[in-house]
Amino acid sequence: MAPWGFVALAYGLVWGTIVIYLIALKRRYAKAAAELQRLETAEARQNDDKK
Amino acid sequence: MDQAAALKKRKGIHGALALVVIAVALYWGLVIAPPDGYQGEVQRIMYLHLPSILIAYLSYFLVFIGSAMYLWKREKRDDLLAHAAAELGVLFTALTIVEGSIWGRPTWGVWWTWDARLTLTAILLLIYTGYLMLRSLIEDQSRAASAAAVLGIIGFLDIPLIHMSVYWWRTLHQPPSILRPDKAPWDNVDPSMLIALTISFAGFLLLYFYLLALRYRVGEMREMIKMRRLEGDA
Repeated sequence: MAPWGFVALAYGLVWGTIVIYLIALKRRYAKAAAELQRLETAEARQNDDKK
Repeated sequence: MDQAAALKKRKGIHGALALVVIAVALYWGLVIAPPDGYQGEVQRIMYLHLPSILIAYLSYFLVFIGSAMYLWKREKRDDLLAHAAAELGVLFTALTIVEGSIWGRPTWGVWWTWDARLTLTAILLLIYTGYLMLRSLIEDQSRAASAAAVLGIIGFLDIPLIHMSVYWWRTLHQPPSILRPDKAPWDNVDPSMLIALTISFAGFLLLYFYLLALRYRVGEMREMIKMRRLEGDA
């Protein structure tokens, strides 16, 4: 492999992995936020029913 | 503007700034900085390799602080910080090993060798992978956090060993070119290379704190979900 090939491989792998991790983390964030929102809404509804 | 919107805006600015600095770092490191006199173009991997390992060390320092604080005060936020930092530490350590392996092939002739520094870095990765596994294996959350905190503190002791390994043992890995006590960085390295390295480190640092804030918030929300479910069951 030519020297630039090693450089391209290193940069590609590192930034590719970071982008994949960022996407996965954003998905985990969105999933947790949606679940929390759902629980809060259900809790508010329960409180309203009690009143 | 409410607090959530202001926070979202600040997060957006932080992310955009990280992206701009990383783009400048890539341009400087791949185009402006000259190739190394001995190693040629492959030396450009240094602009990834050094910032990655420094970020990994910073992460494990935060694990150390968060773990020590959790064992002392028993506050959940310290445990959440340690957990988030450990996950990112594992990511950046793994990236450092991969970059080093790709850099090692054209310069040393091998992808991997059982050199003291490389082996100790691999052990560091194993310790913190174990840290993450330990957390998921112990069912009792409080016990899992305490056990992980102890491992998080012990694991940190590997970092001074990694740093000193190139002085204490005969290693294939070179001693530091920049962070050395006997010479100023600019006496040893071309200024353009130093600028590339500084910008790259700044980009990694901005990205790191962006990821850490996001990962911390995920942990915090999961904790809130768990609490609400427990309250609902009660």
